[in-house]
Amino acid sequence: MKFFRIMLTCVSVSLALGGCATFSQDGGFDGVKKTSAEHIKQEIVWSKTEAEQKAVADRVAELLKTPLNADSAVQLALLNNKDLQASFYQLGISEADVVQAGRLPNPKFSMLYARNDGDYKIEQALTFNIFSLVTMPKMLEIERSNFEKTKRSVALDVLNLAHETRLAYFNAVAANERLSYSEQVKESAEASAELANRMVKAGNWNALEQATEQSFYAEAIVEYANSKNQQTSAHEALSRLLALPLDQLVLEKRLPDLPQTIDELHAYEKTAFEQRLDLQAMRLETQALAKQLGLTKTTRFINVLEIGPARVLEGRRGDPYKKGVDISFELPLFDWGSAKVAKAEATYMQAVNRTAQLAINAQSEIREAYSRYQTNYEVAKHYRDEIVPLRKKVLQENQLRYNGMLISPFELFANARAQVASVNSYIATLNEFWLAETALQMSLIGSASKEGK
Amino acid sequence: MNDFLSRRNFFKLAGAGIAASTVSKVAMAALPEIVSAESANTQTPLHPDTGRPYNPVVTLNGWSLPWRMNNGVKEFHLVAEPVVREIAPGMKAHLWGYNGQSPGPTIEVVEGDKVRIFVTNRLPEVTSVHWHGQPVPNGMDGVSGLTQPAIAPGKTFVYEFEAKRAGSFMYHPHADEMTQMAMGLMGSWVTHPKNPKFMPVDRDFIFLLNAYDIDPGSYTPKINTMLDFNLWTWNSRAFPGIDPLVVRKNDRVRIRVGNLTMTNHPIHLHGHEFQVTGTDGGWVPPTARWPEVTTDIGVGQMRAIEFVANNPGDWAFHCHKSHHTMNAMGHQVPTLLGVQQGDLVDKISNLVPDYMAMGETGMAEMSDMAAMMPMPLPENTLPMMTGKGQFGDVNMGGMFSTLKVREGLAKGDYKDPGHYQFPKGTLAYEFVGDAPEPPRQSATDEKAAVEVQVRKPTGHAGH
Ligand SMILES: [Cu+2]
Repeated sequence: MKFFRIMLTCVSVSLALGGCATFSQDGGFDGVKKTSAEHIKQEIVWSKTEAEQKAVADRVAELLKTPLNADSAVQLALLNNKDLQASFYQLGISEADVVQAGRLPNPKFSMLYARNDGDYKIEQALTFNIFSLVTMPKMLEIERSNFEKTKRSVALDVLNLAHETRLAYFNAVAANERLSYSEQVKESAEASAELANRMVKAGNWNALEQATEQSFYAEAIVEYANSKNQQTSAHEALSRLLALPLDQLVLEKRLPDLPQTIDELHAYEKTAFEQRLDLQAMRLETQALAKQLGLTKTTRFINVLEIGPARVLEGRRGDPYKKGVDISFELPLFDWGSAKVAKAEATYMQAVNRTAQLAINAQSEIREAYSRYQTNYEVAKHYRDEIVPLRKKVLQENQLRYNGMLISPFELFANARAQVASVNSYIATLNEFWLAETALQMSLIGSASKEGK
Repeated sequence: MNDFLSRRNFFKLAGAGIAASTVSKVAMAALPEIVSAESANTQTPLHPDTGRPYNPVVTLNGWSLPWRMNNGVKEFHLVAEPVVREIAPGMKAHLWGYNGQSPGPTIEVVEGDKVRIFVTNRLPEVTSVHWHGQPVPNGMDGVSGLTQPAIAPGKTFVYEFEAKRAGSFMYHPHADEMTQMAMGLMGSWVTHPKNPKFMPVDRDFIFLLNAYDIDPGSYTPKINTMLDFNLWTWNSRAFPGIDPLVVRKNDRVRIRVGNLTMTNHPIHLHGHEFQVTGTDGGWVPPTARWPEVTTDIGVGQMRAIEFVANNPGDWAFHCHKSHHTMNAMGHQVPTLLGVQQGDLVDKISNLVPDYMAMGETGMAEMSDMAAMMPMPLPENTLPMMTGKGQFGDVNMGGMFSTLKVREGLAKGDYKDPGHYQFPKGTLAYEFVGDAPEPPRQSATDEKAAVEVQVRKPTGHAGH
């Protein structure tokens, strides 16, 4: 049993080297929580037990008591979204891989039994892949690195969901506002079309004038229908993210106002991109691949080295067994391992280049997002401070002219429609600003296109 | 109109301002001082203190220019300049005029007077003065380019001629006249007969018809407008800014009216028959006069009408083109007559919060509404029709005034005597009781070829 003793020694040594590969208390969730907390205020829950699920349901009900703002919508999504829960289980899968990597392969027992006229041949061998004792610590390291990467990825999923929820929320509120304006336009266009009909009935107007006024109404109906459709789409998109039915969604009436000022560019310049989670995940992946490459290089010649005690009986049943050791390993006669190394090398270099490009993209995305943010701020501000007040002024002045019977009521209505259109454009630009602001924040966390997932 | 006939509201400008810098010292010493008017009210007639005697005219919402005698020559000084004219209380126009007002002061001379008029140009462009209707030497006719060089800005020109023929005249520029007349550069001229006993009258009024297109909310006339004017004025005043013509019962009254607009104006007087006694071509022989209550005053024409004011009361006196007795109005506004709107207002006011239905029963409700609630108008804009009488809204604007005939006024008393007190039994009254069935055409009459929809009055319910 000397060999078994040797083997046990090897195993304990390797375990000491590799550390204890057991399941953690939090399953990696604390790390995700910590990372996402650096970027958003909202909490996340991995609700696995019934008690946890009940707590989440209570919290969701609580949040639905008041009209949703962007933050509470995000909180709802983080609590309720099932895709996110699915992402959390990725942690479990990844951690299991770590634990698996920290476990030695099972010993292999092989036996040969042959008999001829009372002559026997019996070979029994208990072999153990001794080579795994060498590779296990490295594999464990690689899997740990992968687990870290998964935590980053899951955190990115959390933040991505928050991002998408904010976008969907703003779109839904803007769609509500647009709908209510187009409803007003439709109603008053209906009234002026009716007025036009009465003008004809009274003999004051001809078919041409009537048709012109009717066509405004006809267009207003289409506009209203489109707004209604847009509103439904926007709400359904939000409903999917929050995993809540439409009838439970009560949103605030208006988009948040434009902020007084916007942040300067330098806050987003230079090293901001290094904080990006997708970049961090990619780095961890590259590191893991580097280790993988090192491992492949050191083990290129040996694929399987197995050792273990063997017992052989040859001859009569009563003869004594011969004891010995069974060692086997593959000869690199045809495969010198170079293809494995080349593949590992290529995979590594692929990751290196991808990481470099991701870093370049990240910087560019941040600059682009900032530009969009700043431009939309200026445009929305211009609408708010110039175009809308001017349109309002025009309407007021025309109201005065209508009072003096200087212009026709229909001219006044047309003007009012133009005024509403300017308010609608403002809402659209304000929505654009909030989308851009959200995108800018996301550009500091990771690419919004769900890379790194 | 309480300040009707205020004290002559002049101020005298020492020297000649810009003119001083461009006229030689000798000539400057020779320039009469500039007299300017600040008020748009009718001023007391200017009784001559030098020169031949005459019975002065009353310039409606205007004044007459003082002169000085210089070696037997009557010297006047006209200054063409930008002015601010009150068209009616609540509205001012940026015009061009003479000596502080548009129209400029009336120039009154006597047949045979030798007249010298200094004309100083304080406008931003060249000008000239044409003495409309007067027989003058060709070189004094004031047609720039044709009979004289134009008067450059800052320059002073001198016109000298003899006022040969008595009558009613006008003066106006004949250089870029489309602009300058559209901007109100014009004035009246009266040459009184040498013999004050010739065709004497007790009250002698004069004014010019003019028209402006001033967009609501603005101040300067649109000079390129040809016919679609929105302010029809007498002496650049619109009702209720036009002073009444106050006369004593049985006064013989002359009203001289010149037309410097681009259309004719049938001027109509209530309660009296008049005769056209003069044109700018001279006096109409008595045998050629015909009785009238309306006289059409063509473009570029001057008419003097005369009558005895034998019928006491407050008599309307106006242009008979009904759009000329309106102020700024939208000529593209559709007719809303008979179109019920009240029930639509709620829907409409979603979009137009201050919307009010108008025009359903006619335009008179404009005045009602203005009275009922303050309906804000664009700044510097007169209501389309306005003016109050003792019985309510007059629903008039533009070329409208009143001839107020009263008994026992003092000679030369032009003060507004207030509302006419109707003697008992002389005022239209409401019939109380059952109205008798009016006789109608019999039913056997031919049916009308076209079915006519009769619009019945609907009252003001719902407003
Ligand atoms: Cu007229």
